Amino acid sequence: MKIHKMSKLKHNSISYFYFQITLLLAVVVIFDFIAGETLRYFYFRQGSGEQSRTTYAIEKATEEIIIFGSSRAYSHYNPAIFESHLKLSSYNFGRIGYFIPYHYAVLKALLARVKPKIVILDLTNNEFEKKQEDFEKLSALLPYYKTHPEIRPVIELKSPYEKLKLFSKSYPFNSLILSIIAGNTDFHRDRDIHLKGHAPWRKNLEEPLKIVNTSKKYTLDPVKIELFESFIRECQRTDIRLFIICSPYFIKFTHKDPSVHLGEEIARKHQVDFWDYSQNPLFLGTQSFFADPRHLNEEGSRIYSEIIAKNIRGRLGSVL
Amino acid sequence: MLFNSIQFIIFFVIVIHFFFIVPPKYLLSLLLISSCYFYMAFIPIYILILGVTILIDYAAGLLLEKIQGPTRKLFLIVSIIANIGVLAVFKYYDFISENLLLAFKSFGYEYSLPSLSLLLPVGLSFHTFQAMSYTIEVYRGRQKAERNLGTYALYVLFFPQLVAGPIERPQHLIPQLVQNHSFDYRRIVEGLRLILWGFFKKLVIADRLAIYVNWAYNDPLSQSGITLAVATIFFAFQIYCDFSGYSDIAIGTAKVIGINLMINFNRPYFSKNFTEFWRRWHISLSSWFRDYLYIPLGGNRVSMFRLYGNLFIVFLLSGFWHGAHWTFIVWGLINGFYLMFSLMTSKLRQKVVRVVGLEQFPKTHQFLQIIFVFSLVCLAWIFFRARNLTEAITILKKILLFDGPFDYGNFSLMVFSLFGIGLLVLVELKEEYGRKGLLFLSNPNGIVRKLSYVILIVIILLIGVFDGGQFIYFQF
Repeated sequence: MKIHKMSKLKHNSISYFYFQITLLLAVVVIFDFIAGETLRYFYFRQGSGEQSRTTYAIEKATEEIIIFGSSRAYSHYNPAIFESHLKLSSYNFGRIGYFIPYHYAVLKALLARVKPKIVILDLTNNEFEKKQEDFEKLSALLPYYKTHPEIRPVIELKSPYEKLKLFSKSYPFNSLILSIIAGNTDFHRDRDIHLKGHAPWRKNLEEPLKIVNTSKKYTLDPVKIELFESFIRECQRTDIRLFIICSPYFIKFTHKDPSVHLGEEIARKHQVDFWDYSQNPLFLGTQSFFADPRHLNEEGSRIYSEIIAKNIRGRLGSVL
Repeated sequence: MLFNSIQFIIFFVIVIHFFFIVPPKYLLSLLLISSCYFYMAFIPIYILILGVTILIDYAAGLLLEKIQGPTRKLFLIVSIIANIGVLAVFKYYDFISENLLLAFKSFGYEYSLPSLSLLLPVGLSFHTFQAMSYTIEVYRGRQKAERNLGTYALYVLFFPQLVAGPIERPQHLIPQLVQNHSFDYRRIVEGLRLILWGFFKKLVIADRLAIYVNWAYNDPLSQSGITLAVATIFFAFQIYCDFSGYSDIAIGTAKVIGINLMINFNRPYFSKNFTEFWRRWHISLSSWFRDYLYIPLGGNRVSMFRLYGNLFIVFLLSGFWHGAHWTFIVWGLINGFYLMFSLMTSKLRQKVVRVVGLEQFPKTHQFLQIIFVFSLVCLAWIFFRARNLTEAITILKKILLFDGPFDYGNFSLMVFSLFGIGLLVLVELKEEYGRKGLLFLSNPNGIVRKLSYVILIVIILLIGVFDGGQFIYFQF
């Protein structure tokens, strides 16, 4: 009876509680370690999918012309055309839904290994809009945090607790389990067809020309602007020829987008080439060149890439 | 400080640790200081507004108990006006001003009030209602006025339920605040289990579904009817997991401290009719409206016509309580209409069930009732989630046309969303029709139970959304 009472007391003590919690946390740490290391192994073994393209950009790419940007870069710039016109190898680093914080981090990782000759940065409308989600998307770079110290300061812009969260081994691979499985199988074989990082969009736009009122100002993010300037400075420091381009839109804008306007000013300040094709009459409202109002289709991207490649050749001339 | 943040986890660990080691006479002070710190983590200066209303209600409580006669009612009114006044200024002023401007304009008059554009104090509607329930209960003589200002302040400020409920009653919460809270291992584990399940609901289900819902609802014109229908069903689960997940964390946190908060959700999507739905959904608010509005208006003991009128008022105010926006008001009214219509047709429906022969298949009948109520609840959610009434109507039209194709967005997102919903339904089915308790988390076998904690934590780490936003109900 006495023994029973004592064991009951023991099971209701603070020290017993702390012991149980510590034990539970220890088991969680072990499970987390196993899950994290397994996912890390398979993450870097992926042969297809957007994560494998990011791994290529950060750890393998050695091309001489590199294209940075979001979905518009990904679908607008055909590296094969740049290669044939400029006689330099080329790769498209464009990633759907990713903006300047991501591009700057990838540039830093690239420059830690190699130095391309030409960099094209595609700037979009709203590029510098204050949106926390653009920093949250830096989680795509968490798998590289451990091995790429050069990108850590950018990743830490995501939140002040990122270092703390990274104590978890599985956190860098949060939500990636299915895409890692897909990247390690043939799942992407027919879906992820890209030509040196570029994927032409094979459909035609059917809607008529739209005029969008862009007079409304939005809040600009000083951190994004600073990252944009840092991107320019990194290229200049390493003698890379940088072209900042705003590629065509199907939509007619009533006013110049504040981000594009500011991007142009900053480029001028740093004496960098800035080309604004956003309202180029050849493309504006031409349905047969667009897949949707913001993205060129295969035909449009071919013609646009030809124009840009020729312009770069014209601009650089004998330097190449 | 959001529950789903690192700051809260650190805060909680520190508070609990101190709670275990400080002498009992300091516990109230510890909780009060912690609660003030918790509230001030949002907008520090707003603690002063809360402080003023606390002082008014505290004084009103004492006077209501002391004074007899007609002046007594006056003190109640002063206290209610003080509370509603703060709510009106911060939450409804701009809405009323904008709508007055529109109304005057339509008659050809130019009229405008200056816009205040004030940031809404977090959880204002919740602690205002909780504070009002105190003075009303003291006025009704069902609660003794609290002598200790610290205890009363803690009743309003108690951090687990300060920003999004459950909206407590003084009879239930105040006595618990002044009790001695001895260390109880079982109670603490139960609380932590509830917190874990709340995090799962919020991070794995609600915030994951939110990605698809936001994508579909932010550009409804580009989406097909099927896509919007799926997004609406997802929103039904999102809001449920978001709010009930918050409530689980709140109730679990309080339980660890030794305080039992009232249950706020009771598997509402298993409701077979709308009366039952409102007994299971946001119980603390529904019962608040029942006790302090619906019953004083006459409750069920009035003519049919007045009963419908009372329901209309309650749901109109319930919608308005959620937010100063027409979408919430319409959402409230739709739910009021559902309830009125179900009361009106109750006999007819019984007759139809008899004629069709569904009586002989009670399980099928029950299943059909659940699906029917859930579908109508989903239709009402469209108004709650849409950015404005025009978009809500567009979404509704598209859903009713049910045109394709279905755009599942991102493959992983869809699989994780369905996994989350599937697991939730499984757990709730077991709780509704089987033994009570959270599936494996309450398993009598200690090893299975502890292993399920670990697995749930690893699932949260692997597929939880860590960059998700705040809880939906924080904005109210």
